[in-house]
Amino acid sequence: MDAVTPLVLDGVRFGYGAEPVLDGVSLRLEAGEGVALLGANGAGKTTLTRLAMALRHPQQGSVSTCGRDTARRKPEDLADVTGYLFQHPEAQLFAQTVRGEVAFGPERLRWAAGRVAMAVAAVLDELGLAPHADKHPYDLPTPTRRLVALAAALVASPTLLILDEPTAGLDRNSRVRVARAVTARRRAGTAVLAVTHDFGFAVEVLDRAVVLDRARITHDMGLTDLLGRLPEFPAPPLLELARRLGIEKVRASLDALAPVLTSHPETGTL
Amino acid sequence: MSALDLRLVDFTYPGAPSPALSQCTLCAEAGAVTWLTGALGSGTSTALLVAAGLAPRHTGGLRAGQVRTLGVDPADPSSARDLGGRVALVLPSPVSQLSGIAETVAQEVAFAPANLGWAAGRIHDGVARALDILGISHLADRDPATLSGGEMQRTVLAATLVLAPELWLLDEPASALDAGGRALLHRLLRAEAERGSAVVVASEDADGLAGVADRLVVFDAGRPVLEGSPDAVLRGDPVWEAGAGSTTIAALARAAQVSAPRPLTVEEGVAQWTR
Repeated sequence: MDAVTPLVLDGVRFGYGAEPVLDGVSLRLEAGEGVALLGANGAGKTTLTRLAMALRHPQQGSVSTCGRDTARRKPEDLADVTGYLFQHPEAQLFAQTVRGEVAFGPERLRWAAGRVAMAVAAVLDELGLAPHADKHPYDLPTPTRRLVALAAALVASPTLLILDEPTAGLDRNSRVRVARAVTARRRAGTAVLAVTHDFGFAVEVLDRAVVLDRARITHDMGLTDLLGRLPEFPAPPLLELARRLGIEKVRASLDALAPVLTSHPETGTL
Repeated sequence: MSALDLRLVDFTYPGAPSPALSQCTLCAEAGAVTWLTGALGSGTSTALLVAAGLAPRHTGGLRAGQVRTLGVDPADPSSARDLGGRVALVLPSPVSQLSGIAETVAQEVAFAPANLGWAAGRIHDGVARALDILGISHLADRDPATLSGGEMQRTVLAATLVLAPELWLLDEPASALDAGGRALLHRLLRAEAERGSAVVVASEDADGLAGVADRLVVFDAGRPVLEGSPDAVLRGDPVWEAGAGSTTIAALARAAQVSAPRPLTVEEGVAQWTR
């Protein structure tokens, strides 16, 4: 992984009309960081991710994605270093098969055929999509299509991974796979910026919370310090349980909590 | 008569190697919230499309068995008029449900009532009330295309609520809603059931719906395999054997080798692990 900073927003102002959607927003993500971008519906979260991907450009201030100023760049100029899961992934899929869809990015990066095939097979397996590899993406239910779009975002191990509502509509097994896949990328150095209302997922795979409210960043703090402290950000069940049991040093995920709670097999008590 | 009555229904999408619904029998009653859940591909979304008549009318494909939606076959073109405004389908991607021609959120919500020929005063009052209930009165004059995902979802719900449908069919309606929006949606579903509407919602959000639904129907391989009160079903093992899931706390209890019946809520979890 390069030594570049995955994302830097500096004094960014942007609006679709006269009213700014973002105003004076500064934010920096380091390699391997996991940031939850939070805020009420309409707070500007998706807009911020579009700026990071050069789908929109700041009217004031600057955006640097993986060391590249987005000002004169298009999304395809960032495709080799970023992965983006749209909120509505149906806008994102175009190939005839799931395999072709996921292979598109690496092929565009001119990877050798064998390397493409290996990487695609690995990520399809990781997300439980292997049985669907030869299907047309549009023959799949919406949540599965979302997983296909996520596979395409993950396959080339991006420096910056941006996820807009990655767990929407997913069943529990798929949710667990997504959490593990994102965690693995973070360990390998990928910075993750996730817009999510799924606080359970957030606390499982991310560490830092950035809250947008009325065009500005109002909080930038540890995720577990935020959740449950403000009424609009309730603690998800596992975090609340861990707090009530006094084991909040353990990450509030199934994988981390279950062994702690199993360590007293007689009664299941602590 | 049930508001929704599917008997031994098979449905196969065009070109699909296997059926999406297979011998599916499902009823939903007026005055109740019926919650459908199951693993991805288990058939809950297809059951809603079949109930609304969109499958096969829009999707194509082959349907067998008997479907009665408010007493008529929704795939029969002549019944579409009869069901107009009485059955509401809310899909997981709100962007696909906006009319694309309304210039404001208020016009979007007024779109279906205007098509149904309502008087202007009734439309005006109905739209104002629906926007208020969904907490989006402040967005009334906004262009729908500029809304965030969650705001679109609220707009679609308002455009449905204004019709006071007899049958709600909702597929993951909370996918983009914030915590406040989710709580509001759950109150709305309860209120619509109390009003006498039949509410059918397909969702994986067990934490949210456990306390909202009257009845839980678990799908596997294209048909219901398990049903009962959410409280009873979610505590047990069969819901997991069907490939579905339960609440977060029940999932933790299962992972921590607690045997059924398992705790469902944080409160019950605290009691379980501090005994």
